[in-house]
Amino acid sequence: MTRWPDRLITLLLLALLSWGGWVVVHWLLHGADWSVVSANLPLFAVGSYPSDQRWRPLLWISTCVVLVVLTLTAPRGAGWRRALPPLWIAMAPLGLWLLAGGLGLLPVGTRHWGGLTLTLLLTAGSGLLALPLGVLLALGRRSDLPVLRWSSTAYIELMRAVPLIAVLFFGQLLIPLFLPPGLEINRVLRAVLAFALFAAAYIAEDVRGGLQAIPPTQREAASVLGLSPLQTLQLVVLPQALRVALPSLTNQAVGLLQNTSLMAILGLVELLGISRSLLANPAFIGRYLEVYLWLAAVYWLACTAMALLARHLEVQLDPVRSNR
Amino acid sequence: MRRHRLLLQLGLALLLLALIALLINNLTVNLIRTGLGLGFGWLGRPAGFALAETALPYAPSDSYLWALTIGWLNSLKVILAGLVLATLLGVAAGAARNSGNRLLRSLAGTYVALIRQVPLLLQLLFWYFVAFLGLPSMPVGGLIQLSNQGIQLLGLNLSVEFCAVLTGLTVFTGASIAEIVRGGINAVPRGQWEAFRSLGLNEGLGLRRIVLPQALPAILPALTSQYLNLAKNSTLAIAVGYADLYAVSDTTITQTGRAIEGFLLLLFSFLLLNLLISGGMSALNGAVLSRVRRSR
Repeated sequence: MTRWPDRLITLLLLALLSWGGWVVVHWLLHGADWSVVSANLPLFAVGSYPSDQRWRPLLWISTCVVLVVLTLTAPRGAGWRRALPPLWIAMAPLGLWLLAGGLGLLPVGTRHWGGLTLTLLLTAGSGLLALPLGVLLALGRRSDLPVLRWSSTAYIELMRAVPLIAVLFFGQLLIPLFLPPGLEINRVLRAVLAFALFAAAYIAEDVRGGLQAIPPTQREAASVLGLSPLQTLQLVVLPQALRVALPSLTNQAVGLLQNTSLMAILGLVELLGISRSLLANPAFIGRYLEVYLWLAAVYWLACTAMALLARHLEVQLDPVRSNR
Repeated sequence: MRRHRLLLQLGLALLLLALIALLINNLTVNLIRTGLGLGFGWLGRPAGFALAETALPYAPSDSYLWALTIGWLNSLKVILAGLVLATLLGVAAGAARNSGNRLLRSLAGTYVALIRQVPLLLQLLFWYFVAFLGLPSMPVGGLIQLSNQGIQLLGLNLSVEFCAVLTGLTVFTGASIAEIVRGGINAVPRGQWEAFRSLGLNEGLGLRRIVLPQALPAILPALTSQYLNLAKNSTLAIAVGYADLYAVSDTTITQTGRAIEGFLLLLFSFLLLNLLISGGMSALNGAVLSRVRRSR
């Protein structure tokens, strides 16, 4: 008796799916024109970077991809695995150097940075700044010094109450107002700072969740062993808390990558921004669907790669499995 | 030891104050340099810009304050509609992920996996430029009239911008809610399913009357944070030209140059909005918890 509604649902869904599939195939065969994507691949990858210097952002992206593949496929126990974490941390400064130039490379202004390169650089830069800031805020919020606790809590709660686009917009407007006259920082750096200040509040809450999961006996055991409070934090509490917080930190990282698209509204030509200027070009007018599908695929791939990396890290850090 | 702590706190407080003082000093110097003071007197001046969508009568000769209020109401409109629709979609998709029908289950899984890995802004642009601006003009069943100018539904006239923002927020938040609902349902012991099945209840009724009420205490807190996210995400409406609070603030600040005051107003409005949502949700939470306890 319970079988027939089940079959009815299956039939209905199949009908719906085949109709949808037919529409998609029809569009792919007769409507779609992918020249807007294929003709502009360099723009999507590096923006308006000078064409004779394009190897620099391309080299950076390829290094990132190689590192992702290496990390995911490296055999357990291989000695060179130890080199991976410092390599990952080196990626942001490396990207900054390759893009900005100096130290033997031709300097290139930030207004020429764009495309996927800028998206990844914004993510990496703000993530690297936000993580330590978030950990400090989380520790501050759990501190038994009232001044520290109140100010951390106020910062976290205020930041979490405001929409990101407002933080970014006012970051562009206000950061210059709060700096001493004469000291000017460029738009990309302002964006990275605003992103980091925003993300730190969310990271702080995730880390706090991790800190709360550590039983107080751990601290007691550490102090009995004669560890100083700082050593306890560094060697006992934080490593465990960060491991507990890792899944939610992953979500934050994926969110950060997705949210860099908001800079398109504020005029940076990262992946989404470059598409907006492309779609304004009369040669590609009306080709919204092709561009959006392409972008969705790129973002989806990048986010999925990030999630995979994080899952990998979780397995690596799991004490039960790695002791086996 | 106590003196030590007190000194440490004093030092911290002084450091914080010094930092704030430095920032404020820089701000005043910069404000003097640009010739702008701080103040809210400009709120009474006529705004001078038109708004495409107004819940209450508004003309460009009305004040900035009134324009911002209209924007706030527009935000509230799309947020409330989004909350209701995203909840319905999320509960349906979350239940579908636990369904016995394999096709339904994998469809719901694909929906969640796809939507959550693509930026909301991109999705909003898709709904606006591709889906709603591409609508052919046609009546659907007499009560609904579709066109790329807007949608008429039982006498309600919905603009394309409103529909795009609403659909985008609903679909995006629905995917997150689906995950929460699935987690909540999974947290209910399997014995409860076996019990209602052996009592002869069908799956749908059992889900609604037995499983979901028990899953609610686990679902509601996470749901609140999704609702707050939806409210904050509604500010992306500016990308498709919907005149929400943020879009009106943006125009106001560009016209008047009052960035600090504009930011404070926006902060205040959002604190109010968050308070409304989390207050409503904690009332609901309390009601649900007491009902669940009573029925035990």
